[in-house]
Amino acid sequence: MKRLYSSQYFTSFQCDRGRCFYVDFNHKTVKFSFCQLLAFRQQVKNINPKSHFNGENKHGFEILMLCNREHIFILDTVDILDLQELVIGTFGMLELNSILSTSV
Amino acid sequence: MKDLVRQKLSIHVEVMDLLNNQIRKEAQSSSAYLAMASWCDHNGLIYSAEFFYAQAAEEREHMMKIFRFINDNGGTAYSPEVSNILHEYNSLEEIFESALDQEIAITKSIHNIVYKCRKIQDLTTETFLQWFVKEQMEEEQMMRRALELFDLIDANNKPGLKLIDERIPQIRE
Repeated sequence: MKRLYSSQYFTSFQCDRGRCFYVDFNHKTVKFSFCQLLAFRQQVKNINPKSHFNGENKHGFEILMLCNREHIFILDTVDILDLQELVIGTFGMLELNSILSTSV
Repeated sequence: MKDLVRQKLSIHVEVMDLLNNQIRKEAQSSSAYLAMASWCDHNGLIYSAEFFYAQAAEEREHMMKIFRFINDNGGTAYSPEVSNILHEYNSLEEIFESALDQEIAITKSIHNIVYKCRKIQDLTTETFLQWFVKEQMEEEQMMRRALELFDLIDANNKPGLKLIDERIPQIRE
Protein backbone atom coordinates (compact mmCIF):
# COMPACT_ATOMS: atom_id res chain seq x y z
CA MET A 1 0.00 0.00 0.00
CA LYS A 2 1.47 3.34 -1.01
CA ARG A 3 0.80 6.63 0.68
CA LEU A 4 -0.67 9.22 -1.64
CA TYR A 5 -1.09 12.28 0.56
CA SER A 6 -1.19 13.27 4.20
CA SER A 7 -2.99 16.33 5.49
CA GLN A 8 -2.77 17.30 9.15
CA TYR A 9 -5.35 14.75 10.32
CA PHE A 10 -5.97 12.36 7.44
CA THR A 11 -3.95 10.18 5.05
CA SER A 12 -4.83 8.55 1.73
CA PHE A 13 -3.30 5.39 0.28
CA GLN A 14 -3.43 3.43 -2.95
CA CYS A 15 -3.41 -0.36 -2.93
CA ASP A 16 -2.19 -1.74 -6.28
CA ARG A 17 -3.00 -5.35 -5.47
CA GLY A 18 -6.60 -4.62 -4.41
CA ARG A 19 -6.99 -1.91 -7.08
CA CYS A 20 -8.51 0.32 -4.42
CA PHE A 21 -7.84 3.26 -2.13
CA TYR A 22 -7.86 3.78 1.61
CA VAL A 23 -8.36 6.88 3.71
CA ASP A 24 -7.17 6.85 7.29
CA PHE A 25 -9.51 9.06 9.31
CA ASN A 26 -7.40 8.50 12.44
CA HIS A 27 -9.96 6.48 14.38
CA LYS A 28 -11.10 4.52 11.35
CA THR A 29 -9.70 3.48 7.96
CA VAL A 30 -12.13 3.30 5.06
CA LYS A 31 -11.65 1.34 1.84
CA PHE A 32 -12.78 3.03 -1.40
CA SER A 33 -13.23 1.73 -4.93
CA PHE A 34 -12.34 4.35 -7.52
CA CYS A 35 -16.03 5.17 -8.05
CA GLN A 36 -16.50 5.62 -4.33
CA LEU A 37 -13.43 7.82 -4.19
CA LEU A 38 -14.94 10.01 -6.91
CA ALA A 39 -18.20 10.25 -4.96
CA PHE A 40 -16.26 11.11 -1.79
CA ARG A 41 -14.40 13.83 -3.70
CA GLN A 42 -17.67 15.26 -4.98
CA GLN A 43 -19.21 15.35 -1.50
CA VAL A 44 -16.19 17.07 0.02
CA LYS A 45 -15.91 19.49 -2.91
CA ASN A 46 -19.57 20.48 -2.56
CA ILE A 47 -19.09 21.65 1.02
CA ASN A 48 -18.79 25.40 1.26
CA PRO A 49 -16.64 26.21 4.33
CA LYS A 50 -17.84 29.83 4.17
CA SER A 51 -21.26 28.62 5.34
CA HIS A 52 -19.61 27.75 8.68
CA PHE A 53 -18.68 31.38 9.20
CA ASN A 54 -21.56 33.37 7.75
CA GLY A 55 -24.30 31.89 9.93
CA GLU A 56 -25.74 29.66 7.21
CA ASN A 57 -24.44 26.53 8.96
CA LYS A 58 -24.90 27.55 12.59
CA HIS A 59 -23.75 24.32 14.26
CA GLY A 60 -20.59 24.12 12.12
CA PHE A 61 -20.86 20.40 11.42
CA GLU A 62 -21.10 18.44 8.20
CA ILE A 63 -22.41 14.91 7.82
CA LEU A 64 -20.76 12.72 5.21
CA MET A 65 -22.15 9.35 4.20
CA LEU A 66 -19.60 7.33 2.30
CA CYS A 67 -19.41 4.12 0.27
CA ASN A 68 -23.12 3.53 -0.31
CA ARG A 69 -23.95 4.72 3.20
CA GLU A 70 -21.70 2.12 4.80
CA HIS A 71 -19.91 4.82 6.80
CA ILE A 72 -21.11 8.01 8.38
CA PHE A 73 -18.86 10.85 9.51
CA ILE A 74 -19.72 13.95 11.47
CA LEU A 75 -17.01 16.50 10.89
CA ASP A 76 -16.38 19.98 12.25
CA THR A 77 -15.03 23.00 10.40
CA VAL A 78 -11.37 22.17 11.01
CA ASP A 79 -11.90 18.58 9.85
CA ILE A 80 -13.66 19.77 6.71
CA LEU A 81 -10.90 22.20 5.78
CA ASP A 82 -8.35 19.45 6.33
CA LEU A 83 -10.39 16.94 4.34
CA GLN A 84 -10.65 19.36 1.42
CA GLU A 85 -6.88 19.67 1.46
CA LEU A 86 -6.59 15.87 1.53
CA VAL A 87 -8.87 15.48 -1.49
CA ILE A 88 -7.00 18.10 -3.52
CA GLY A 89 -3.65 16.59 -2.53
CA THR A 90 -4.76 13.02 -3.24
CA PHE A 91 -6.10 13.76 -6.70
CA GLY A 92 -3.06 15.90 -7.41
CA MET A 93 -0.80 12.97 -6.59
CA LEU A 94 -2.93 10.60 -8.68
CA GLU A 95 -2.62 12.98 -11.62
CA LEU A 96 1.11 13.25 -11.13
CA ASN A 97 1.32 9.45 -11.11
CA SER A 98 -0.68 9.32 -14.36
CA ILE A 99 1.71 11.81 -15.99
CA LEU A 100 4.74 9.82 -14.82
CA SER A 101 3.23 6.52 -15.97
CA THR A 102 2.51 7.97 -19.41
CA SER A 103 5.94 9.51 -19.86
CA VAL A 104 7.92 6.42 -18.75
CA MET B 1 2.73 2.58 -8.49
CA LYS B 2 -0.03 1.51 -10.88
CA ASP B 3 -2.07 4.16 -12.65
CA LEU B 4 -5.39 2.99 -11.17
CA VAL B 5 -7.18 6.16 -12.22
CA ARG B 6 -6.38 5.51 -15.87
CA GLN B 7 -7.45 1.87 -15.50
CA LYS B 8 -10.86 2.98 -14.28
CA LEU B 9 -11.38 6.28 -16.08
CA SER B 10 -10.84 7.08 -19.78
CA ILE B 11 -11.29 10.81 -19.33
CA HIS B 12 -9.49 13.34 -17.18
CA VAL B 13 -10.98 14.01 -13.71
CA GLU B 14 -11.01 17.79 -14.24
CA VAL B 15 -12.74 17.33 -17.58
CA MET B 16 -15.28 15.11 -15.86
CA ASP B 17 -16.04 18.02 -13.51
CA LEU B 18 -16.48 20.37 -16.46
CA LEU B 19 -18.76 17.88 -18.20
CA ASN B 20 -20.87 17.55 -15.05
CA ASN B 21 -21.10 21.31 -15.01
CA GLN B 22 -22.18 21.19 -18.66
CA ILE B 23 -24.90 18.68 -17.75
CA ARG B 24 -26.27 21.24 -15.31
CA LYS B 25 -26.19 23.96 -17.98
CA GLU B 26 -27.99 21.78 -20.53
CA ALA B 27 -30.64 20.92 -17.92
CA GLN B 28 -31.03 24.61 -17.06
CA SER B 29 -31.36 25.39 -20.75
CA SER B 30 -33.97 22.66 -21.25
CA SER B 31 -36.04 24.01 -18.36
CA ALA B 32 -35.71 27.58 -19.63
CA TYR B 33 -37.04 26.47 -23.04
CA LEU B 34 -39.96 24.76 -21.31
CA ALA B 35 -40.79 28.04 -19.55
CA MET B 36 -40.62 29.84 -22.92
CA ALA B 37 -42.90 27.20 -24.47
CA SER B 38 -45.37 27.72 -21.66
CA TRP B 39 -45.36 31.51 -22.14
CA CYS B 40 -45.95 31.10 -25.88
CA ASP B 41 -48.73 28.58 -25.28
CA HIS B 42 -50.53 30.95 -22.91
CA ASN B 43 -50.23 33.80 -25.38
CA GLY B 44 -51.70 31.88 -28.32
CA LEU B 45 -48.39 31.53 -30.15
CA ILE B 46 -48.83 27.84 -30.87
CA TYR B 47 -46.07 27.41 -33.45
CA SER B 48 -43.49 29.10 -31.22
CA ALA B 49 -44.70 26.97 -28.31
CA GLU B 50 -44.13 23.80 -30.36
CA PHE B 51 -40.70 25.10 -31.36
CA PHE B 52 -39.66 25.60 -27.73
CA TYR B 53 -41.12 22.26 -26.61
CA ALA B 54 -38.91 20.64 -29.24
CA GLN B 55 -35.93 22.74 -28.13
CA ALA B 56 -36.46 21.67 -24.51
CA ALA B 57 -36.44 18.01 -25.57
CA GLU B 58 -33.32 18.57 -27.65
CA GLU B 59 -31.42 20.18 -24.78
CA ARG B 60 -32.36 17.25 -22.59
CA GLU B 61 -31.01 14.90 -25.28
CA HIS B 62 -27.73 16.85 -25.22
CA MET B 63 -27.63 16.53 -21.46
CA MET B 64 -28.21 12.78 -21.67
CA LYS B 65 -25.47 12.38 -24.29
CA ILE B 66 -22.95 13.93 -21.89
CA PHE B 67 -24.41 12.05 -18.92
CA ARG B 68 -23.96 8.69 -20.63
CA PHE B 69 -20.52 9.63 -21.95
CA ILE B 70 -19.23 10.26 -18.44
CA ASN B 71 -20.64 7.02 -17.05
CA ASP B 72 -19.59 4.97 -20.09
CA ASN B 73 -16.03 6.12 -19.56
CA GLY B 74 -15.80 5.17 -15.92
CA GLY B 75 -16.69 8.53 -14.39
CA THR B 76 -19.66 9.52 -12.29
CA ALA B 77 -22.35 11.73 -13.79
CA TYR B 78 -24.41 13.73 -11.33
CA SER B 79 -28.09 14.42 -11.82
CA PRO B 80 -28.42 18.21 -12.02
CA GLU B 81 -30.46 20.51 -9.82
CA VAL B 82 -32.28 23.23 -11.71
CA SER B 83 -33.50 26.45 -10.15
CA ASN B 84 -34.28 30.10 -10.90
CA ILE B 85 -36.10 29.59 -14.16
CA LEU B 86 -37.54 32.82 -15.56
CA HIS B 87 -41.21 32.54 -16.54
CA GLU B 88 -42.05 36.17 -17.25
CA TYR B 89 -41.30 37.78 -20.62
CA ASN B 90 -42.35 41.01 -22.31
CA SER B 91 -42.57 39.75 -25.86
CA LEU B 92 -41.80 36.94 -28.28
CA GLU B 93 -38.81 38.91 -29.49
CA GLU B 94 -37.42 39.04 -25.97
CA ILE B 95 -37.85 35.28 -25.74
CA PHE B 96 -35.83 34.66 -28.91
CA GLU B 97 -33.16 37.10 -27.74
CA SER B 98 -32.89 35.19 -24.46
CA ALA B 99 -32.78 31.93 -26.41
CA LEU B 100 -29.89 33.21 -28.53
CA ASP B 101 -28.01 34.44 -25.43
CA GLN B 102 -28.55 31.06 -23.87
CA GLU B 103 -27.17 29.24 -26.92
CA ILE B 104 -24.14 31.54 -27.05
CA ALA B 105 -23.42 30.80 -23.39
CA ILE B 106 -23.67 27.06 -24.06
CA THR B 107 -21.34 27.39 -27.07
CA LYS B 108 -18.75 29.26 -25.00
CA SER B 109 -18.96 26.65 -22.30
CA ILE B 110 -18.46 23.78 -24.79
CA HIS B 111 -15.51 25.62 -26.35
CA ASN B 112 -13.93 26.08 -22.93
CA ILE B 113 -14.11 22.34 -22.30
CA VAL B 114 -12.53 21.69 -25.71
CA TYR B 115 -9.68 24.11 -24.86
CA LYS B 116 -9.18 22.30 -21.57
CA CYS B 117 -9.12 18.92 -23.37
CA ARG B 118 -6.45 20.22 -25.71
CA LYS B 119 -4.40 21.58 -22.83
CA ILE B 120 -4.37 18.29 -20.96
CA GLN B 121 -4.43 16.11 -24.10
CA ASP B 122 -7.76 14.41 -23.44
CA LEU B 123 -8.44 13.31 -27.01
CA THR B 124 -11.36 11.06 -26.06
CA THR B 125 -13.46 13.94 -24.76
CA GLU B 126 -12.29 16.35 -27.44
CA THR B 127 -13.46 13.97 -30.16
CA PHE B 128 -16.76 13.46 -28.35
CA LEU B 129 -17.31 17.22 -28.10
CA GLN B 130 -16.80 17.85 -31.83
CA TRP B 131 -20.46 16.91 -32.40
CA PHE B 132 -21.51 19.56 -29.85
CA VAL B 133 -19.34 22.25 -31.47
CA LYS B 134 -21.11 21.67 -34.79
CA GLU B 135 -24.52 21.37 -33.16
CA GLN B 136 -24.08 24.70 -31.34
CA MET B 137 -23.29 26.47 -34.63
CA GLU B 138 -26.64 25.27 -35.95
CA GLU B 139 -28.51 26.17 -32.76
CA GLU B 140 -27.16 29.73 -32.76
CA GLN B 141 -27.92 30.15 -36.44
CA MET B 142 -31.50 29.00 -35.90
CA MET B 143 -32.10 31.62 -33.19
CA ARG B 144 -30.59 34.32 -35.40
CA ARG B 145 -32.97 33.36 -38.21
CA ALA B 146 -35.87 33.74 -35.76
CA LEU B 147 -34.68 37.21 -34.74
CA GLU B 148 -34.31 38.22 -38.40
CA LEU B 149 -38.07 37.72 -38.73
CA PHE B 150 -38.56 40.56 -36.25
CA ASP B 151 -36.38 42.80 -38.44
CA LEU B 152 -38.57 42.02 -41.45
CA ILE B 153 -42.02 41.98 -39.88
CA ASP B 154 -43.49 44.44 -37.42
CA ALA B 155 -44.37 42.37 -34.34
CA ASN B 156 -46.02 45.29 -32.53
CA ASN B 157 -49.40 44.49 -34.05
CA LYS B 158 -51.37 41.26 -33.81
CA PRO B 159 -51.32 40.26 -37.51
CA GLY B 160 -47.54 40.81 -37.59
CA LEU B 161 -47.01 38.72 -34.49
CA LYS B 162 -49.26 35.99 -35.88
CA LEU B 163 -47.32 36.02 -39.14
CA ILE B 164 -44.01 35.65 -37.30
CA ASP B 165 -45.42 32.80 -35.21
CA GLU B 166 -46.52 30.97 -38.36
CA ARG B 167 -43.03 31.33 -39.84
CA ILE B 168 -41.25 29.87 -36.78
CA PRO B 169 -41.46 26.19 -37.89
CA GLN B 170 -39.59 27.15 -41.08
CA ILE B 171 -36.48 28.36 -39.26
CA ARG B 172 -35.62 24.73 -38.49
CA GLU B 173 -35.38 23.97 -42.21
